[in-house]
Amino acid sequence: MFNAKVKSDVLKGIIDVTSPLVNEAKFNVTSKGISLRAVDPAHVAMVDLEIKSKAFEEYKADEMELGIDLDKFSGIMRLANSGDMISLEYDEDANRLIIKIGNLVRKMGLIDTAGMPDSKAPNLTLPAKIIIKASELSQGVRASEAVSDHLTLSVDKDTFELFAEGDTDTVHLKLPKDMLVELTTQGKHKSLFSIDYFSNMIKSVKGDDPITISMGTDNPIKVDFDFADKKGHVSYLLAPRIESD
Amino acid sequence: MQTYNNNNQKHLFKEKKSTNTINQCGLCRGTKLLCGKDRCPVLVRFHAKAKAKPLLDTLHIGGASPPSVFIGRYGYPKVSIGPMIPPVMGDTSIIDTPELWLTKSLDEIVDFRSQLVRGKFAINITDVENSSNVVEYTRELALAKNPVYTDALFEKKPYGRIVFHDEIQPHGPSAPIKTLDITNPKYEQHIEKAYYDTDLRAKNAILDVYNDGVQISAIQRAFSVGAFGVKKHRRFVPTRWSITAVDSTIGAELMKQTKTAPYVNEVRIYTHNQYDNRWIILMTPSEWQYELIEAWYPNTTWNQYGNTISIFNSYEFYEGRTTYAEIGGCYYAARLAVNELLTKERRQAGVIVLREAHPGYIMPIGVWNVRECVRKALTQSCQKFDTLQEALVKVTEIMDIPLQRWINNSAVLKNQLYQRRLEEF
Repeated sequence: MFNAKVKSDVLKGIIDVTSPLVNEAKFNVTSKGISLRAVDPAHVAMVDLEIKSKAFEEYKADEMELGIDLDKFSGIMRLANSGDMISLEYDEDANRLIIKIGNLVRKMGLIDTAGMPDSKAPNLTLPAKIIIKASELSQGVRASEAVSDHLTLSVDKDTFELFAEGDTDTVHLKLPKDMLVELTTQGKHKSLFSIDYFSNMIKSVKGDDPITISMGTDNPIKVDFDFADKKGHVSYLLAPRIESD
Repeated sequence: MQTYNNNNQKHLFKEKKSTNTINQCGLCRGTKLLCGKDRCPVLVRFHAKAKAKPLLDTLHIGGASPPSVFIGRYGYPKVSIGPMIPPVMGDTSIIDTPELWLTKSLDEIVDFRSQLVRGKFAINITDVENSSNVVEYTRELALAKNPVYTDALFEKKPYGRIVFHDEIQPHGPSAPIKTLDITNPKYEQHIEKAYYDTDLRAKNAILDVYNDGVQISAIQRAFSVGAFGVKKHRRFVPTRWSITAVDSTIGAELMKQTKTAPYVNEVRIYTHNQYDNRWIILMTPSEWQYELIEAWYPNTTWNQYGNTISIFNSYEFYEGRTTYAEIGGCYYAARLAVNELLTKERRQAGVIVLREAHPGYIMPIGVWNVRECVRKALTQSCQKFDTLQEALVKVTEIMDIPLQRWINNSAVLKNQLYQRRLEEF
């Protein structure tokens, strides 16, 4: 059983953080909320999403799985305006999700989740932690997009730096500790990442909202932030590029 | 995955700067006139050098059209359409069937293509149902299965010698057409079925006839005269565009299957040599990604004036690309060929097509060359390797250009070599 009412913005938030990585996703529903873990087809990035039942206006659910085609779902959500109340109901007999937007009833066929594997998160020790305002980070990433397809993130005890280098142009963003919300690290660390993936990960966070970055040297990066008024949480992992050969 | 494009264009830009006008040829190939001249100097040179055939001193030509038609692109949406007729009788079908040309030398191809006289009739692209004989017979030729006796009277004597294009097969002189007559053609049955189905969308028509085993060149011919599609959307499509439209449509459809298939089991290398072009098709066990890298030696078609090798690439990752490939139609032609093999084997792979064009490749002959050479390479048995590194060593044995230069110019190779996966941690 799954029966819920929620503001369209919360559902749009879920789509924004998952759809850059996967086209189809398996949502795990429990009485406490909904979660999802998915890896992109290239196995380079992982999204881990949790949204508490508190984020919903009404929420009643048993333990179950919903296999959702995100492109289709995103198309349906485009029918809703910001602030609209959406009602969701699982139709077990037809394996469909009944979505009500105002007087509109849209029944969406679900995907069989049997063939969708459970992804395992790697065990990582990431010694550096940075909390940064979304606007500061996205400015650096947007600048880097114009010059290269990968960027270097580095951190020591005083600064967090972002660096991108093309054939003729470079981008360098240097943020001292006092411009960050938080910086804790043991030693210096540096890793290289695909800008394309990285910018997709942070693009749904806006303004002064904090983004937490955990990183090491030539190790995956972990990007954490809250959404839906802190009732939802996203955690991304992104594998690095390693260019020494 | 679009940001990689930036990097790519940046590369091209840099090379362009360091060597002046040279390298823009590979991007333009006579179509965009990036050098700022009125006519492409490369193509003009070919035309000047082309064997001066005795000019046709007649207003009238009769012969067996292979069948062949040509839809021009100048003046779009008002373009020149018409048949192509060689002044000979008999089975001329090979003249417009590039699928059969790999056994021919460049000279032979130029020889038989230059016989084709192109009739021109100006018409709006949407006017496919025009009652003029020329429109009707041009369409009938495009649907025909076998050579058709065609008789044309021109306004003036056919002018010019042989015309070369990058994407299209060369053809001979042309003239405005006054009257046209043909004997009754026998239609290719699958194409005929799609032609009469005026509710069938063009994309589905292409896929249907392709699955029925119709050759690409025949599909493209019918597509160019507006024989496919929902009735009110039918229109003439310039030959150049129709070739890529067909390659890209079929390739995209096959790719859907490729993207859900299991990976190939090993790293593979397929090779082929043709017209002094060396081809390598490298397949890796990974999710679908594809790149075509072309290296032009000095004095080859699209590197006439340089004294360094110029390298061009276009690529896509799993998500596909949203913009037209920088290197043009050959990207889609090769993509079709590799997906044909992967679909047949029900496999998925990362595919990199490397092409080294050596000085023996002296003239543009059309993208069929790319499609058929890649197809040919893929019919031969492959060499298998456990790792990409071992396969790349093999690449250095076949190609003259150093491995590092290939890697530097390749987005997919860099991705394969440098991007780590989460399960490695």
